[in-house]
Amino acid sequence: MDFSKEILYPVIILTGIAIFFSILIAIFSKRFAIKKDLQVETVLGLLAGANCGACGYAGCEAFAKALVKGEAKLSMCNATNKECKKKIGALLGTDASDEETVVVCACIGGIMCEDKYEYQGYGDCASVELLSGGRKSCPTGCIGMSTCVSSCPVHAIDIIKGVAVVNQSKCIHCGICVLNCPKSLMKRIPKKAMYFIACSCHESGKNVRINCKVGCIGCGICAKVCPEGAITMVDNLPVFDYDKCIGCGVCADKCPSKCIKELVLPQKNDE
Amino acid sequence: MPYWLYLVIGGIFINNFVLSRFLGICPFLGVSRKTETALGMGLAVIFVMGMTSIITFGLNLLLKELNIQYLQTIVFILVIAALIQLIEIVIKRFAPSLYTALGVYLPLITTNCAVLGVAIMNVTELATQNIFTSFVNGISSGIGFTLALLIMAGIREKLEYSEIPEKFKGFPITLITASIMAMAFTAFAGLSF
Repeated sequence: MDFSKEILYPVIILTGIAIFFSILIAIFSKRFAIKKDLQVETVLGLLAGANCGACGYAGCEAFAKALVKGEAKLSMCNATNKECKKKIGALLGTDASDEETVVVCACIGGIMCEDKYEYQGYGDCASVELLSGGRKSCPTGCIGMSTCVSSCPVHAIDIIKGVAVVNQSKCIHCGICVLNCPKSLMKRIPKKAMYFIACSCHESGKNVRINCKVGCIGCGICAKVCPEGAITMVDNLPVFDYDKCIGCGVCADKCPSKCIKELVLPQKNDE
Repeated sequence: MPYWLYLVIGGIFINNFVLSRFLGICPFLGVSRKTETALGMGLAVIFVMGMTSIITFGLNLLLKELNIQYLQTIVFILVIAALIQLIEIVIKRFAPSLYTALGVYLPLITTNCAVLGVAIMNVTELATQNIFTSFVNGISSGIGFTLALLIMAGIREKLEYSEIPEKFKGFPITLITASIMAMAFTAFAGLSF
C-alpha cells in the first residue's frame, strides 16, 4: 500500500481545506465586522425577548433600536418586567415609572348570558360583532368566539363556559388581546390589584338581569360594605381605587351577582 | 442547440430538483407557506448553488489529480458550509438590505441537500464538464428549485381558503399537492428537441 497516496493526501487535503476556510472566516469576520451599537445590544438583552410585536415594531430588536433613538416609549412594551424596565430607563435616561399591569377579561357572562340569535357560519368575534353588535343580548357581553385566543402569542387565553379567561401563569401582558377584542373586554388592571369587577355592562340593574344571570346590576352594595371606601359606583359599575384596597374580600363576598372576582396571580419563586 | 441550453431546460423542468430528484424536500415543505418567503429562500438557493458550482468544480479537479475522489462528499459539505458563512459575513457588511431579505434562509441552506446534490451531479452527470457548464447547471437547478417552491407556495395560499376535510388539513394536503405536482412534472421527462 502506498502510504503517502492512500492516507497522507486525503488527510492533508481535508485538514488543509478546513484550516484554509477557518482562517478565511476568521479574517472575514474581523475585516467585515459590523460595529454593533452596544446600547442597543444591552437594551435588547434587558427586554423580554418575547417578540410579540404588541409595541408595533417588528420584534424586540427593532423596538430596542427605536428606544435608543428615542422614537419609542418604554411603556409601549408590556412584556418586560419592572426591574428590567428600570434598568433600561436608567440606561437611556428616560422615566420608566410605569405601573405594572396585568390583563383580565371583564366579563363572566358566557353561557349565563342570553343569546340574541344563533350564529352559524364562518368567523370569529370580529365578524359576529358586525352582525348587530354580537350574538349576546348584553351589549358588552363576551362573544366567546376566540378572537383573543387566536391572537394570543403565548396561548394564555381559553374560552371556558363561553367566556374568555386569561391564564395568568402563561400571560406575558403584551396586550394584543386588548387591541383585538371587538368588545374591548380585555382590560388592564394594576398587578397589585386583588379584586376586580368582571362585568362591563353599564345598563340599569333590571336590563342587566333580563340578559344575564351574573352581570353587575349596579346595586352598590360593594361600595357600601367596603371598609376602606375604595369602591365608588360610576355608571352602574363599581370602580376600584387600588391604592386604598386592602384585599379584605368583603365586596366579593357580599356581591349578589358574584361578579367581583379575585385576581389570582401565580406565585413567583423569586419574589 | 448549445449544450448549456439543454442544461437550463433540464435543470428547471426535466430534472427539477424537488419534483423529480426529490432533493431539498424539507425547505420545500417548510418555507412554502407564503410566496414572499418562498421567493427569498429561492433567491438564496440560486445564489448559493451558482457559487458552490464554481468552487466545487475547481476542488474536484484537485481531487481528481490526486485520485481521491471518494472524498468529494465530505469535502463538498465542508466547502459549502464555509462558503455560506463567508457569503453571509460579506452580505451582512455590504448589502444589509439583501441580508435582511434573505434573512434566516442563508444559514438554512448550509445543510440543504439540494446544494450538495448539485455539486455532486456537476462532476458525475454532466457530459461536458467545464466551469461554465457547472455554473449554468447550478443556476438553472436553483431556478428549478425556486419555481417548485413558488408554485407550491401559490397553491398553499389558495388552500388556506378552501374547504379541506378536517383530517387532511395542514401537512397531509400539502403532501398530496406535492405528489400531484411531481406527477405533473414527470410529463417533462419525454421532452425532446
